Amino acid sequence: MSEPVMRMDSVWKRLRRRAEVSTLAELVSGLPKRLTARRDEDGLRDHEFWALRDLSLRLMPGETLGIVGPNGAGKSSVLKLLYRIFRPDRGSVHVNGRVTGLIELGAGFHPMLTGRDNVFINGAILGLKQREIRRKYDSIVEFAELADFMDMPVKNFSSGMYARLAFAVAAHADPALLLVDEVLAVGDASFQNRCHEWIERTRRQGCAIVMVSHQMNVLQSASRVLYLKAGRAVVLGAPEAVIERYLGDQADLTHTAEHSGDDGLPHADLLDADGNVIVESPAHVPVRFRVHVTLREPVKGPVVALDLLHEDPRFRVSTPGANLAQLSSFGTLRDETVVGATSFEVDVAGLHLPVGRYRVAVTVRAHDAFAATIRNENALRFEVVRPSESPSQALIHLEQKWRLCAASAAKAGQ
Amino acid sequence: MSIARDLRELISYRELVTVFARREIRARYRHSLLGAGWAVALPVGLTLIFTFVFARIAPVDTGAVPYPIFAYIGLLPWQLHANILNGSVRSLIDNRSLVISVYFAREVLPLSRVGSACFDFAVGATVLVGLMAWYGVAPGPGLLLVPLVLCAQVSFGAGLALFAAGGNLLYRDVQYVLQVVITMWMFGSAVVYPIPETGWFIWLKYVNPITPMLDAYRGLIVGGRWGFDPPFYVACGISLLTLVLGWLWFRRVERRFGELA
Repeated sequence: MSEPVMRMDSVWKRLRRRAEVSTLAELVSGLPKRLTARRDEDGLRDHEFWALRDLSLRLMPGETLGIVGPNGAGKSSVLKLLYRIFRPDRGSVHVNGRVTGLIELGAGFHPMLTGRDNVFINGAILGLKQREIRRKYDSIVEFAELADFMDMPVKNFSSGMYARLAFAVAAHADPALLLVDEVLAVGDASFQNRCHEWIERTRRQGCAIVMVSHQMNVLQSASRVLYLKAGRAVVLGAPEAVIERYLGDQADLTHTAEHSGDDGLPHADLLDADGNVIVESPAHVPVRFRVHVTLREPVKGPVVALDLLHEDPRFRVSTPGANLAQLSSFGTLRDETVVGATSFEVDVAGLHLPVGRYRVAVTVRAHDAFAATIRNENALRFEVVRPSESPSQALIHLEQKWRLCAASAAKAGQ
Repeated sequence: MSIARDLRELISYRELVTVFARREIRARYRHSLLGAGWAVALPVGLTLIFTFVFARIAPVDTGAVPYPIFAYIGLLPWQLHANILNGSVRSLIDNRSLVISVYFAREVLPLSRVGSACFDFAVGATVLVGLMAWYGVAPGPGLLLVPLVLCAQVSFGAGLALFAAGGNLLYRDVQYVLQVVITMWMFGSAVVYPIPETGWFIWLKYVNPITPMLDAYRGLIVGGRWGFDPPFYVACGISLLTLVLGWLWFRRVERRFGELA
């Protein structure tokens, strides 16, 4: 039995909403108040709150822990504690080996210096010896695909090049624990793929990973997921169960917001050929999805994407960003600009998908924007059912038309 | 013992101190017109001004030593002291993005500013060599003891650098207070005039470590002196104490840097 890479034992972390004292002048003027200030029964003074309460975690080599939760739940605090940027107020944090965070990539880059200089500086910040960096230098440059630019000051780098170089250095730090905040939105699609490949390879080599994400398909690939809310662990367990629980809570919130009428998130309906709202459909029947969204700002060339996610994890694709099925308006509405309450419709000849229950995540963004403008992970739930006339127990029912071909029929007749 | 562990950790980051110091120096010199000239511009400029004042307008007695050399030997180490303080006080704030996103021994940041100030000092020292050749002043054997004085001065500076950098993260107006302190300190340190032999000033020699250090530099390089006088030993004691207390204090407040930065 190997040792855990990371151990957090009943960690409590207290943070302040705003700095109590930030100048010497305030220190002097605020002294009487500070001396008389009392902690409340929760051990807090004014403007303080518990960012984490009694959190215990263990992570074995090669394990991936996903963290999910609403904003302000304490997700970033967990990463900062693991990275020793925060120290716990109670409890303890132990990490066995080097921690590398893919959090603020390139934080140590100096804009005036060349790519080469910055590789050495950034490597040193991440804890590499200069000798090690010299040995790995070629491999770093190759990973970043920036061989021709290493003598250029990084202030002239594009943001993609900057992030690529930073990631390449971080990828060569041989971490025992890797921290990933949100999905990696660096470089182009091929570089992103290589980043994900690298993360997966590193994990197989025994590196433990902690990742924070709002993207459910990214979290699916974790060994376990922790659901944090207001600094407390709500549940820690298998991704499926935890994500369902989290989305259930979110759906409740969304529902409440719907009544107030302006949560702004996209919602979707499934309609049959006659335009009736349905919740289930046989696989081969034509259907229509309708997306409603309230856009606060004009969106130029809207791209609407529906990710159809099967409830059975066997049908989840582990590569982040890829789904079993996606409907996307990419390239079709480029010249339109929309704002306010907007609806989109997409006709589908048939849901030729594995039978079962689906959740639909809807994203609406501008055609030239990389980040999702708005995304609702839980825009619709529906079920694909077996066609009533089909005798087959198969999972996928394709639309099929059979006929007897003339030549074969002749042979059969002889 | 956690102090021993922290010290071992700090020592393991010694390479990063030189990497950061080199980063500062390169970034400063690579894209500036004067290059390394910036390191000498200020002490040389001040020497010219004070030579005009104290050699022409209100002459002071510097013995056999030409006033420009007397002034430069005072101004160069003083500038080192001022650069250490000015550089380190903002070291954590200037690297805020690092402080809140990557872990490493935070002492590295102020200490690397101490390192880059020492580099400027070395560049400035070449001017002194030229100046002494020009006036035909030969250094005495005391020159061999100068590294000891430099050691004491840098320990003192490093201790203050830790206080200044940490203090400025806790209270952002420390850097402005420090500006005033440095200016007043210069005139209370006998940088450009000889230490008065009588009066209340002789007590200041025991309180302000910079004064006996400057006196030691002058005595050893051009005064034909070999060895040190009592105020210098007191200064060494204060320097060592400042360094130890500075580090102990820094490592106590360092735990909160991630939240404060």
